[in-house]
Amino acid sequence: MELTGEVVINAARTRVWIALNDPAVLTACIPGCEAVEQVGPLEKTARMLVKVGPVRAKFSGRILMSDVVESERCAMTFEGSGGAAGMARGRSQVELSDEGESTRLHYTVQASVAGKLGLVGGRMIDGAAKQMADQFFNAFQLHLAPAQPDADKLPTESKAPKSAQVQPLVTHSRSEDMTVAGATVTRQPTSKLTDDMEWLRVKWFAMGVLATAIGVWLGAQL
Amino acid sequence: MASLQTLQVEVNGQAQVRSVAPRQHLVDFIRNELGLKGSHLGCEHGVCGACTVEVNGRIVRGCLTLAVQAQGGKVRTIEGLSADGDVRDLQDAFVRNNALQCGFCTPGMVMAAKELLEAKPDATREEVREWMSGNYCRCTGYQAIIDAICETLAERAKNSSSRPSEKVSV
Amino acid sequence: MKSAAFDYVKPAAMAELFELLQSHGDDARILAGGQTLLATLNMRLSEPKLVIDITGLQELRGIHQVGDRLFIGALTTHTEIENSALVSQHAPMLTMAAPHIAHRAIRNSGTWGGSIAYGDPAAEWPCCLCAMDGHVHLQSPNGSRKISATDFFIDLYTTALAPDEVVVGADVPLASQADWFAFDELARRHGDYAVAGLAVAASFTGKVAQRVNLAFLGIGTIPWRARRTEALLVGKTLDLATVEIAVASLKAELDPLPDLTHSPETKRHLATVLARRLLSAAHANRSAIAV
Repeated sequence: MELTGEVVINAARTRVWIALNDPAVLTACIPGCEAVEQVGPLEKTARMLVKVGPVRAKFSGRILMSDVVESERCAMTFEGSGGAAGMARGRSQVELSDEGESTRLHYTVQASVAGKLGLVGGRMIDGAAKQMADQFFNAFQLHLAPAQPDADKLPTESKAPKSAQVQPLVTHSRSEDMTVAGATVTRQPTSKLTDDMEWLRVKWFAMGVLATAIGVWLGAQL
Repeated sequence: MASLQTLQVEVNGQAQVRSVAPRQHLVDFIRNELGLKGSHLGCEHGVCGACTVEVNGRIVRGCLTLAVQAQGGKVRTIEGLSADGDVRDLQDAFVRNNALQCGFCTPGMVMAAKELLEAKPDATREEVREWMSGNYCRCTGYQAIIDAICETLAERAKNSSSRPSEKVSV
Repeated sequence: MKSAAFDYVKPAAMAELFELLQSHGDDARILAGGQTLLATLNMRLSEPKLVIDITGLQELRGIHQVGDRLFIGALTTHTEIENSALVSQHAPMLTMAAPHIAHRAIRNSGTWGGSIAYGDPAAEWPCCLCAMDGHVHLQSPNGSRKISATDFFIDLYTTALAPDEVVVGADVPLASQADWFAFDELARRHGDYAVAGLAVAASFTGKVAQRVNLAFLGIGTIPWRARRTEALLVGKTLDLATVEIAVASLKAELDPLPDLTHSPETKRHLATVLARRLLSAAHANRSAIAV
């Protein structure tokens, strides 16, 4: 199973990096996660309940980081055992880059599932992995950048927090649309204007228009 | 942890009362509690058909039925079906056509075919093959099994003027 | 292998079911036909503490006409639908689809509601419901609601079911003289999970299609309506040229997810094979009628 994706997270790169490595954040954001523990500088253990359809499989595993470039990229290998359900192992690569004040996160995952889960669930693995990745990134973004209250009600002081929801680029939509996978949205270059709310609103409006335009263009290509 | 249930069920015409664990499926109950070894376990997840038995007049996967789900019902295994003589002609056709070698799949095959004979008395060979695709055989290559069923269908059709076909009702 | 141990209860009333669901949450599983659940338990892919057998709830049974819809109760088995005269008259697509579901022994136990609640991407009933613009009926301790099938199936094994809700049935529109239905699926062996499947719900004036709903199974994580291709077919006769236009549109519109043994390209191709077959069959049928 191979999965690639990109998300833009509305937080600075260092913050994103720290959060990605924080066992508490991972516990909160990984779907079904019960515990993540740091057991060495590059090593974590994790326990999670995988819930896909009728399956409820408890996995416990180990994540080992390598090729670490602080705040920029790392590779991870992981393996986990689901008891009677089977085993999973794989590798992933995460790369962070700046996008104005936000961070573009690019990930690739290769994984294989062995045992009964692999046999029986094999045809679902791609879909399930994608779903879990989307759930993780949605939760991760909410954690780092909680949703903005209604823009009209915002105070106009310049110290208003830079918090607004970014839609992940890989979205699951309803039966009418197929997922637009791995789309890249290039943002307009930002200028050095002050960070007051008016500028934020303009930025988000522009993002929305751009995303819609790209979505329509992509839709026409597919 | 899990409490036992009292199961009352009629099996091959005989009333049975037993204490069962909820997790025990029907074939384990039939084989281990009642000693009826004719029903077999192959995959235990519903794809091989070796466990096919009849509950309340319809074939089911015995491995995908809890024993407790048969509460108050009627179960018939290959032993009962044989004893009742419903498909004597089908069983003879199996023997004539060499439609069994090791015999592991055979009870499930006969059970599945029995319902076909009832539900689709004018089935074509293609329809027979589709119907029986839920039962796996590792020995015969299937042709002889299909031959035996088609022969039985033809024989019954020929004799159908003397006995009305029994359709399985909804 | 054998399932892990669990407790078993068979409520006699909906109120009892809701109480049990409330107190046990995800530690309990609902058992209707059990054809998915028991396989899962036998393989220990799930180890619930409690199994709640709902087959005693008579209000979940039955097939009947309600106004201009045909309502099928959640506990109706696949075989009952296969054999039902009401279904064959008012919702013939379901009669066509039923024999494709697994095998007879499984159809004798498996249920309409179970298939809908799980929403497997290769399941037949969710696909048929989406093709026919069916409604799923849900009940919770707070009351009942109805939701369109295309809104009910959201993502892989993810439906609009709230944690305290159960599927009590689903309805479909009654077929009219102008309607034409078809269903077909492609699998490596009969009864396997389909690689791709297509449900067509169309209505015609003579040979001209007024509406052609195309719902695919096995292509995405949920039943997928080919809306752009559907729009192209409105007001057209489904002759060879139009069918080819539809196939070209499908090739562009479809974005299949692969599975272990089939690439997106294979799935896309198989989907167009089905479209050609069924759309040509529609045309042949309407040409024979509309003389």
